[in-house]
Amino acid sequence: MKYPLLFAVLMITLLPLQAANLTARQIMERVDDRDDGDNGISDMVMTLIDKRGNKRARKIRNYTKDKGEDKQRIMFFMAPADVKDTGFLTYDYDDYSKDDDQWLYLPALGKSKRIASSDKSGSFMGSDFNYSDMTSKNLDAYDFRILNEKEVRGAKTWVIEAIPKTAEEIDETGYSKSVLFVRQDNYMVVRAVLWVSEGGRIKYMDSPKIEQIDGIWVATKQTMTTKKNRRMVHKTELNFYNIKFNQPLDQDMFSLRRLEKGL
Amino acid sequence: MHTQLRQKIEDGFGHLAHLIYRNHWKVLLLVLAFVAGLATQLPKLTMDTSTEGFLHADDPVLTAYAQFRDQFGRDEILAIAVTAPDLFDLKFLNKLKQLHEELRDNLPYLDDITSLINARNTRGEASTLIVEDLLEQWPEDAAALAAVKKRAMGNAFYRNLLLSEDATTTVIVIKTDAYSSLGIEGDALDGFDDAFEEETASIARQFITDEENSELVMAAHRIAEQYNAPDFQIRIGGGPEVMFKLKQVMQTNMERFIRLAFGAIAIALFIMFRRISGVLLPLLVVFLSLLSTLSVMAIAGIAFKLPTQILPSFLMAVGVGASVHVLAIFYRHLQQGNDKEESIAYAMRHSGLAIVMTSLTTAAGLLSFAGAEVAPISDLGILASSGVMLSLIFTILLLPALLSVIPLKAKSGSRAEKRHAKMDSIVIGIADFATSRHKLVLVLSSIIILISIIGTTQVRFSHEPYKWMPTSMSVRQAGDFLDQKMGGASVVEVVVDTGRENGLYQPHILKGLEQLKQEIEQIKNDRISIGKTLSVVDIIRETNRALNENRQEFYTVPDRRDLIAQEFLLFENSGSDDLEDFVDSQFSKARFTLKMPWTDSIYLHELSDDLRKRFQQQLGDDVVITVTGMNAILGRTMAATIFSMTESYAIAAVVITIMMILLLGSLRLGLISMIPNLTPIIVTVGVMGWLDLPMDLFTILIGSIAIGLAVDDTIHFMHNFRRYHSQSGDVDDAVRSTLLTSGRAMLVTSIVLCLGFFIYMFSILTNLFNFGLLTGLAIAIALLADLFLAPALMVQFYKREKTAVED
Repeated sequence: MKYPLLFAVLMITLLPLQAANLTARQIMERVDDRDDGDNGISDMVMTLIDKRGNKRARKIRNYTKDKGEDKQRIMFFMAPADVKDTGFLTYDYDDYSKDDDQWLYLPALGKSKRIASSDKSGSFMGSDFNYSDMTSKNLDAYDFRILNEKEVRGAKTWVIEAIPKTAEEIDETGYSKSVLFVRQDNYMVVRAVLWVSEGGRIKYMDSPKIEQIDGIWVATKQTMTTKKNRRMVHKTELNFYNIKFNQPLDQDMFSLRRLEKGL
Repeated sequence: MHTQLRQKIEDGFGHLAHLIYRNHWKVLLLVLAFVAGLATQLPKLTMDTSTEGFLHADDPVLTAYAQFRDQFGRDEILAIAVTAPDLFDLKFLNKLKQLHEELRDNLPYLDDITSLINARNTRGEASTLIVEDLLEQWPEDAAALAAVKKRAMGNAFYRNLLLSEDATTTVIVIKTDAYSSLGIEGDALDGFDDAFEEETASIARQFITDEENSELVMAAHRIAEQYNAPDFQIRIGGGPEVMFKLKQVMQTNMERFIRLAFGAIAIALFIMFRRISGVLLPLLVVFLSLLSTLSVMAIAGIAFKLPTQILPSFLMAVGVGASVHVLAIFYRHLQQGNDKEESIAYAMRHSGLAIVMTSLTTAAGLLSFAGAEVAPISDLGILASSGVMLSLIFTILLLPALLSVIPLKAKSGSRAEKRHAKMDSIVIGIADFATSRHKLVLVLSSIIILISIIGTTQVRFSHEPYKWMPTSMSVRQAGDFLDQKMGGASVVEVVVDTGRENGLYQPHILKGLEQLKQEIEQIKNDRISIGKTLSVVDIIRETNRALNENRQEFYTVPDRRDLIAQEFLLFENSGSDDLEDFVDSQFSKARFTLKMPWTDSIYLHELSDDLRKRFQQQLGDDVVITVTGMNAILGRTMAATIFSMTESYAIAAVVITIMMILLLGSLRLGLISMIPNLTPIIVTVGVMGWLDLPMDLFTILIGSIAIGLAVDDTIHFMHNFRRYHSQSGDVDDAVRSTLLTSGRAMLVTSIVLCLGFFIYMFSILTNLFNFGLLTGLAIAIALLADLFLAPALMVQFYKREKTAVED
C-alpha cells in the first residue's frame, strides 16, 4: 500500500457512515485488504504452554516482504541453542490454486530442504497455530454471516461466522467452522473461535495486545488456546518485539542462499 | 453363649413375633414404604466393564494411568480390520476411503482415526522433503497404485499396525476420547471467559463412560455392517470392543440368572412345603431385599462390574435360607394343631437366634472382601453383606407380618405325613451311620482333606477377561484374528520421563530407546509376544532417512544432539501432529507403546517388572520409568486379586471362628466346629488344583462365600445338638434329634443354594461356569460335612470328654 496514512485517515472518517450497512462478506474483504505492513522485521518469542502450565520458549527473528500480492517470509531461530540458526523460508502465493513454497535449513545437517505439503492444517512449529492461521484465506471458499455485535476489551466488533463451502477447504485448513470477532474501527480480527474438524477440539485465538506501529495495527501479543470439552489441552503465546516496517529489505534476503547463510 | 442369655434372646424373638402379629398392617406398610422409597433411586444404577474399573480410584497404578491418559489420551484402540484379496486395488481403496470418512464424520467421542488413507508418509525426493498422507494424491492408474503399494509395504511403521505382513488385511485405528463429555455443555463462544474454564474445572473429570464407549462401538458396528462384503470383510476388535461385548454379555447373563434363580428357588420351595404360601412368601422376602440392596447400590453410586453381576441371583439364593428355616418350623407347629399366632411365635423363638447367627456369619464371610484391592470384589463384599443383613431384617419383620395376613390352616391328609416319614427315615439312617461308624467317617474325611491339600498347592491364578468370552462370539474371532494377523490389539505403555525440558534431545536417550525397540520386538515366547512397538524413535528415524535422500542406512537415530533437535523441529513444522502422540510438548517425556496379543494377566505383572528393569538399565538412573496402560492395569488387578484372596480368606476364617466360639460358648467346640466349616473350601480348592481350573476374579470368591454359607448348616447343627445333648446327655440321640428337626431345612436350603450357584453354569462367560460349578460343589460338600463329619466329630469329642470324666 502506497499511502498508508491517507488510507488510515480515510478509514477513520468514512467508517462510522459505512459500518452499519456492510455485509459480512464486505467486512471480510476489508479484513483481507487491511494494510499489514511491508518490509517488516520483528522478533517473536513463541511460548508453548501445556495443560499443567509447563512452558517452553523459542525465539525467532522474522523478516517479511510483499511481492506483488504474494507474501514472502524468512525466519531464523535464535534460541534454544539446539536449533539456533535453523531457518525457514516461505512464499505464500495469492493464487489459491498454487501450493505455498517452504524451505527449511538445518545447520546441523548443512542442507536446506524444500518441504512439500498442500496441507495447511498441520501445526506451525509445534504450536497451536496452524499454517492456515498464518496465511490469508480464500474468501470465495466461505459463506459469511454476521451473528451479532460484541464488545471486546472496550472495542466494538462484528461477530462473523465463516462456514467453508467445500470439504477440500475443511481438509486444507483443518477447521469445519469459525467465528471471527472483527473490530469495527480497524478491521482487525482480535478474536476467533475455530472448530477443529477432527477430534472435537476447539481453538481460541485472542489478541490481547494490539498496537499501532508506523501507522499499522499489529497484534503484539497473540494467544491460541486449544480446548477439548471446555478444558485447555495446550496453549501458545506469541509475543512480538522490535517491530519495524518499511526497512530496506531486498529480494536477496528471501532466497535459498540467504537461508543457508543464516543471519 | 450362656443358656440364660440364649433363653432371653429366644423369648425376645417370641415377644417380637407377637408384637408384629398384632400390628401386621403397620409393619407391612412401613416395610413397603421403606422399600418403595429406596426403589425410586434404582434408575441411577450404572454398569462399568472398563479395565480400569477393576481397581479402586485411589490405587497408585490407576493414578499413574490417569496421568498417562491425561498426557497421551486413551491407550486402548478400536481396531477395524478389513480383509480383501487385493488391498491395492482402486475399487477397494475407494471403498476404504468412504468407510474411513464415514467413520471419521459419524463416530461419537472419536479423538483420532488413522488408516492407509491418511497414514503419515514421510520421504525424501531429491532436495525435497515430502510429508503427506499416503493417499494424498489419489492414484488414478496402475503405475500410481504400484507406487503406493511399494511405499506402503516398505514402511516399517505401517507393518502390523495398519497393514498385515501378507498385505491381505488393513486396519483402521480409532483412538477414542480419554475423558467423558458428561456435563460439558454451553456456548463455545464463551470460551474466552475465565469463569467458563473455572466452572468446567469444578466438574470432576471422569474417564470415558461405559455408555459413551458403547455408543461409539455400536456406531462403528452400524457403519461397518453397510460395508461388510465377501471381498471387504470387516472385523472389529480392541479394548473398547471387548469392553462393549462384556457389557452386553453381562446384561444377558444377569437377566438370565435372575430368572433361573427365581425358577429354581420356587421349585425347591414347592417341593419342600407343598404350599403356595411356602413358595411366595420367601420369594417376596428375597425380592424386596434384592430391590433394597440394588437401590443402596444406586444411591452409593456403585456401578455393576463384571464380578458384581452375580449379586442379584446370589442374594436371592442366600437370602431365602432364613425364611426356609422359620417356615419349616412354623408349618410343622401349625400342622401339630397350634394356632397361627402361637406357631409364628414358636418358630421365631426356635429359629430367631440361629438365623441371626447364620446371617451374621454369611455377612462376615462376604464382608471379608470389603478391603479387597480389586474394586468390584470389595463392592461385592460390602453390597452382598448388606444385602444379607437386609434380607435378615425383612425375614424377621416381614415374614411374621405376612403370615398374619394370609389365611393358613393345617393341612389334612396322609400324603404329607408319608413323605415326612420317608424323609425322616433317611435322616435317621444318616445320623446312625455317622455316629456308629464315626471312626470310618473321620478316617475317610482325613484322607479326602489330605488329597485336597496337595491339590491346593497346584492351583494357578489367572485373569484374562477377554478369554472369558467363548470363541463362538464375534469379538473373540475378531480378536484372535487380530492377534494372529496384526500382532494383537492390546497394549502396554512405558513412559520415560527425563525430568527436564528437551531431555529427549539427548542422543543416549533416543539411541537407548532405539536399542530397546529392537530388543523388545524380539520378545516372543508362548506367554508373551510383542507384535510391535511404537515410539518417537519411528518418527526420528523416518525423518532422518527422508532428509538423507531416502537411504536405508539413515533409518536410524542421529548421534548428534543438535541434529536431533533440528529434525524434530523439521517434523513439527512439516504438517504432521503425530509427535504429540509420543512426546509431551516439553520434549521431556517419551511414550513407548508395546502392541501385543491378549494374554493372561498373570504374565503381565512379570512383563511390567521386566520392562522397568530393561528401560532403567538402558537409559540410566536419571530417568523415571512408568509402566502403565491397559495391560499393566490387568497385571495389577491380578496381583491385587491374589493378595486380596489371601487376606480375605484369613479374615473370614478368623472372624467366623470367633463367632463360632462365642455362639457355642466353648473354645474347643468352636474350634472343632471349624473342621466341617473349612473342609468344603479345602476340598473345592483342591479340586481346582487337580482339575487345573484357575483361580480368577470369580473363583476367588468361592472360599469366602462358601465358608459363610457352610457355617450356616454347622450353626443349625451345633445349635440344636447342644440343646438336645444338654437335655438327654446322649450323643447319638442328640444327633438323631438334631437331624430330625433341622436336617430337613438344612437339606432344602443347601439344595436351593446348590441350584442357585449351578445356574451360573448357564452363563455365556466361561469362567462363570467354573464359579457356579465349584461353589455349588462347595455347598454340597458343606452339607455332607455337616451331615456326616460333624456328628462323627461330636461322638469323638464327647466320648473323650466322657472318658476323661470317668477317669
